[in-house]
Amino acid sequence: MKNSYIIKRQEKIIFFLPILLFLFSCDGLEVDTPKHLLTGETVFTDSKTVEAAIISLYANLRDNVLLTGSVRGMSNLMGYYADELEYVSPYGLGDENFYKNNLSANDGTVLEIWNGAYNQIYAANAIVEGVQNAEYFTEEERDLYTGEALFVRSLVHFYLLNLFGDIPYITTTNYVVNKSVSRSPANEVYDHIITDLLQARDLLPLTDSTGEHVRPTKYVASALLARAYLYTKQWTLAQQFATEVIENNGWEPNVENVFIKSSPSTLWQFSPNREGDPTHEGEIFVIPYAPPNERVLSTQIIQAFEEGDLRKENWVGEISDGTQSWYFPYKYKIGIGGNNPQEYSIVFRMAEQYLIRAEATTMLGDMETAKADLNKIRSRADLGNTTAVSQGEMLEAILHERMTELFSEHGHRFFDLKRTGNLDSALSFKPGWESNDRLLPIPEREILLNPNLQPQNEGY
Amino acid sequence: MKNYYRRSYALALTFALFLTYYSPTFSQNQPQKTISGIITDGDGPLGGVNVLVKNSARGSISDLEGRYSVTAAANDTLVFTYVGYKLQEVAVGSNNIMNVVMEVDAQALDAVVINAGYYKVSDREKTGSIARITAAQIENQPVSNPLAAMQGRMAGVNIVQNTGVPGGGFSVRIRGRNSIRADGSEPLYIVDGVPYPSQSLGDSRVSTVLGYVPQSPLNGINPNDIESIEVLKDADATAIYGSRGANGVVLITTKKGKGGKTTFEIGSSTGVGKIKHRMELLNTQQYLSMRREAFANDGITEYPSFDYDINGTWDQNRYTDWQDELLGGTAYYNNAHASVQGGNEQTRFLVKGSYGEQSTVLPGDYKYKKSSILLNLNHSTADDKFSIQISGNYVVDKNNLPATNLVREALTLPPNAPALYNENGELNWEDNTFDNPLAALNAKYKSNANYLRANTVLSYTPFKGFGLKANLGYFATSLEETRTAPHTIYKPSFGLDSSYSILTINNGDLSSWIIEPQATYTLGLGKGVLDILVGTTLQNDNADQLFQSARDFPSNTVIYNAAAAAIHTIESDTEEMYRYRALFGRINFNWDKKYIVNLTARRDGSSRFGAENRFANFGAVGAAYIFSEEPFMAKVFPFINFGKLRASYGTTGNDQIGNYGYLNTYTTNGLSYQGNQTLSPVQLYNPDFGWETNRKLEAAIELGILNDRIMLSTSYYRNRSSSQLVGIPLPGTTGFTSIQSNLDATVQNTGLEFELNTVNLKTDSFTWNTSINLTIPKNKLLSFPQLENSTYANQYVVGQPLDIQLLYQSTGVDPQTGVYTFLDVDGDGIISNPNDRKAIRDVGPKFYGGLSNSITYKMFQLDFLFQLVKQEARNYLSDTPFPGIMRNQPTAILDQWQNPGDDASIQLFSAGYNNGAYLAYINSYNATGAIGDASFVRLKNIALSYNLPSQIATNVDCRIFLTGQNLFTITKYLGPDPETLSIGNLPPLSVLTMGVEFKI
Repeated sequence: MKNSYIIKRQEKIIFFLPILLFLFSCDGLEVDTPKHLLTGETVFTDSKTVEAAIISLYANLRDNVLLTGSVRGMSNLMGYYADELEYVSPYGLGDENFYKNNLSANDGTVLEIWNGAYNQIYAANAIVEGVQNAEYFTEEERDLYTGEALFVRSLVHFYLLNLFGDIPYITTTNYVVNKSVSRSPANEVYDHIITDLLQARDLLPLTDSTGEHVRPTKYVASALLARAYLYTKQWTLAQQFATEVIENNGWEPNVENVFIKSSPSTLWQFSPNREGDPTHEGEIFVIPYAPPNERVLSTQIIQAFEEGDLRKENWVGEISDGTQSWYFPYKYKIGIGGNNPQEYSIVFRMAEQYLIRAEATTMLGDMETAKADLNKIRSRADLGNTTAVSQGEMLEAILHERMTELFSEHGHRFFDLKRTGNLDSALSFKPGWESNDRLLPIPEREILLNPNLQPQNEGY
Repeated sequence: MKNYYRRSYALALTFALFLTYYSPTFSQNQPQKTISGIITDGDGPLGGVNVLVKNSARGSISDLEGRYSVTAAANDTLVFTYVGYKLQEVAVGSNNIMNVVMEVDAQALDAVVINAGYYKVSDREKTGSIARITAAQIENQPVSNPLAAMQGRMAGVNIVQNTGVPGGGFSVRIRGRNSIRADGSEPLYIVDGVPYPSQSLGDSRVSTVLGYVPQSPLNGINPNDIESIEVLKDADATAIYGSRGANGVVLITTKKGKGGKTTFEIGSSTGVGKIKHRMELLNTQQYLSMRREAFANDGITEYPSFDYDINGTWDQNRYTDWQDELLGGTAYYNNAHASVQGGNEQTRFLVKGSYGEQSTVLPGDYKYKKSSILLNLNHSTADDKFSIQISGNYVVDKNNLPATNLVREALTLPPNAPALYNENGELNWEDNTFDNPLAALNAKYKSNANYLRANTVLSYTPFKGFGLKANLGYFATSLEETRTAPHTIYKPSFGLDSSYSILTINNGDLSSWIIEPQATYTLGLGKGVLDILVGTTLQNDNADQLFQSARDFPSNTVIYNAAAAAIHTIESDTEEMYRYRALFGRINFNWDKKYIVNLTARRDGSSRFGAENRFANFGAVGAAYIFSEEPFMAKVFPFINFGKLRASYGTTGNDQIGNYGYLNTYTTNGLSYQGNQTLSPVQLYNPDFGWETNRKLEAAIELGILNDRIMLSTSYYRNRSSSQLVGIPLPGTTGFTSIQSNLDATVQNTGLEFELNTVNLKTDSFTWNTSINLTIPKNKLLSFPQLENSTYANQYVVGQPLDIQLLYQSTGVDPQTGVYTFLDVDGDGIISNPNDRKAIRDVGPKFYGGLSNSITYKMFQLDFLFQLVKQEARNYLSDTPFPGIMRNQPTAILDQWQNPGDDASIQLFSAGYNNGAYLAYINSYNATGAIGDASFVRLKNIALSYNLPSQIATNVDCRIFLTGQNLFTITKYLGPDPETLSIGNLPPLSVLTMGVEFKI
């Protein structure tokens, strides 16, 4: 290799070829948005895609978050947590920690509830923010979208508040703000919830245009307002909004038809993923064979029914292996895999509004209205009028009626025991129950990532 | 150009002198004539070959074109030597032109020519750190994935098999884990110059049987088609791969035609595989006494109706070894291959076809099949100015498995559970009290993958020293995998029919093309040689994935026909595009074969980043000093024949973060409402994230002692990975749990690597070589701002390795209550996470390595490799069911607390009614008591072969061989296997195969 070369000009040019090629090819780095993604900017330029973003809120609530009838929803988890469901799996699976009131701050399901709920709140806030651009939407459209998003935002916060106690109220998508929020006292959270609901109530339509009650209306917002006022002991307002709902919506007199999708007493129900899909409640509650291997209806619920209660006959299923019988919630009849043209999963229904008004009027001393409302529920179940006389007896009777009317629906039982201060007395029979269990733990991950969420709820 | 690097004049001369010294007689009687010819290596001309007239001092060296000439007499013999090739002796006779084809000598590791990707370099002159295995080692192993063939053989390369189910995945870490993310530490794979995806098209939701991980993308390469695998480790070797080099580069080179006489080769092997390592589990008597004790402890005298094992429903004298029953089968292996190769000096070809199949140890008829065709054609013009190399590879990979692997069932089914079949030969459900595990086998996993790889290399040498080259590559793969869940996986008493049957389908397609034009220039400058390389890369990848399910079939016989289903769901239909552009270069200066400097650089652009952050520069400098070239060395250390110091420093990057991360996006999530598809936000978005950078430093010494009888290489490396691309964890209140961003955290990997190769004995009929590699890695999280406020607070500690576990400190079993106790670090009276989870255990490898021996005696050859790993890991106690419930347990739990005052290692049994015991048990999963020694020594591979003497088979080379994989393991690990370290995955099988190979 003694012979040395001097690089000639043409060789230099050849050397620069790759460099030139590189420079020319750099434009090729732009990629199109792929078929499965839409950018946020695109979504909020078209009412069709905004509509898709809004129904995604309901679809997620139906299938994944809080109100879902699936195993991850309140109906199941808080049913276990209170005294509605019994856990009969021999395998130590899944929901046992809820049943045994054995939750820890690093419980995966609790984290899932928390994250899923705040994800819904983010999606709702993104809609509130996204539709403000007047360029693409009419005022009507914007009102509708904002009303639905605000309703969902307050609904989800309502459940978070009642599960976890003081929580942050999130009103923006800005993660820089949201990552260091603090817990607000419960009364402030209620203020936010009520403010949002009052606004949503103004913006939402009087009726659901589909006629199927699958979209929240003004009265659904009022129904949640009535509940929020009840929970905060603002009896007059609770009575006022329950009355508004009762006076403007129908009533299904037949117990058998309450949970079919055309029931006039339904205020809001979920449209199924596919027409004919069974409800998630049906999928998890209906027991096809004995012995059952997950959940059964508790002895407490079964014993709560008075003799001749049509609800026990119609809403409770029984299965036997020949020697032993088990009971299960049977409000929805179609179980896993079945074809179900008749049932949608119901979220808000009239019976609750009567019970809210009964309780509010009891507290306000209007015992006649209270009794009438309570008897309205009882008579549908073919039970005689209530024998309660005093305010205390009435409250007890209403709580009992809520137990038999609303069992296995979205954790009503737990929330009722909690707000009436009856948790400890009602659940003391459970070996794992402690007073501190009235609140779920704030997920440990949250406190680690955002120390402003301290302190942890007592007992965790 | 490559020939240039192959030269090793000095060493060749040493050889020549050596020979001369031995034979001091001279041939002077015959008339002398000039002999000339061309020396090739079957792949091209070979320069620098030492040509010596035997028993004389005369000799010559071949030039760049392989030409030589030498004066010799007719009765002389010419000796051709070149380091790395077998010595050849050819009698002169009447010849005046003698063309010689040199044969590669696999033993001579020192002068092996190494593929460094964009260039080749001799082992002697390399400035970087490159590990290598060749076909000889790969072919000895009955494995179907090339990663399996690399295990235990390379320093700095840690490969762990995830499951013993065929087609399963491997975890590969080259010099440790660089990324804080669990998934960002994959190396870059390049097969014959074409990037090979490290991401699987598989979906873990379908391939549940593989341990809920996607199938290995490297299933698309048949190990038997591989000529060599090089692993690039340091900055000098990897910086030319820029943004994709951070985690090391694995270069796979397939077999090429060697030219010459047309040879046919056929081979076939067959074998068996079993699970060797069994867990010791309770027998019926021990199990039932555990259960009775548990209920007694819980104060329950009347056994609940669903505790069938103990309440009299099931036979209490029955015993089944469920490991034997469910996992005790034999897997069968069959492999065959045939090839033909040949050609002449200008054209060489190879055609090779292979087929392999293996079954499983699970009950039932399951098969994994792989077929491959490899084509290779090389042609060069007579003047050698232009050459073209074409290679193509098509692999069909089919897998047929049950959808579940039954490992957990085998370990936890009560030993007195009823028989699997009733008298009629049907599945036994024992009056609905028994979840028959075999029903789960009615669910099947099937996968069918095709891989097509084609590449063409065009080379043109317009004039001496100057080269132009274009590498054109195309890779396409498609995968269809399905998982069925027929209604028959459920108890018949459910009363279900095929309307409940479900089919899940994952379809993936990926195609990728790459164009890499390059120019090279070689320039002599005095005693020095300058090499310059400039090139550019254009690469586009497109991938599509369709994930769907179908249910409600008229009959299970049509379950694979999605069209027959009444209900269809498209879960996802996605598209991924990746665009990559790069400019790279190398300047290598070699002064007098003694001082070598190697500069490499790359400028990368990637579509994975926002417009502002698309480009980044990477580069490295490497240098080597071959001190054995110094004249004094031969005097002072005559036994050292080769010595080199080398060092390198540089930066590489990592862009393994998925596409479109910088966009604010919405997608359909497969949900409908009111009959319409829904759209939901995908992520919080950050348009500003950029590359992860990895700074690598390495220093090494390489020695050859006693004429390479002992070769030792020791290297120290330090890699620092910063600007970590992580989903920075966010509290759920932000709506999501993370945001993609560059975290200002640094992970450091340091380590020492030793490689020792010795020729212990070498006679005409007996040779014994030993190779040892050992890696002592150390991983450390150097910095992590705000770690304490992130979720990683629970996972990482600054100053500690990434692979740590933060645990409760186990303080034994309370002698009074019989419940596990833990150290209450914060003294608040409650054992809680994270305040009390402060005990640190490193579960990464402390050291790992391999010891291989190769012994040849006459026609016999024996190779065996021991793999060695020193580590601690979570053992079975971190995953065992609650001792006392209706699940079987390992015998290790029999040291349980029974009475107050007992000093026991396991807490009291409970059937689940003791809250305190249950909470303590949950905590014990994450306590130091569940960490145990998981070190192991494994006979990874053994191969015995016998070459039939040619008198028996004239003109035919015949080889008979016996190979074994994972034949035995020495370990104290409590769990199914110390390699997979998983309770739910099948351990790697012990495989024994035998076979025969003919070459005509």
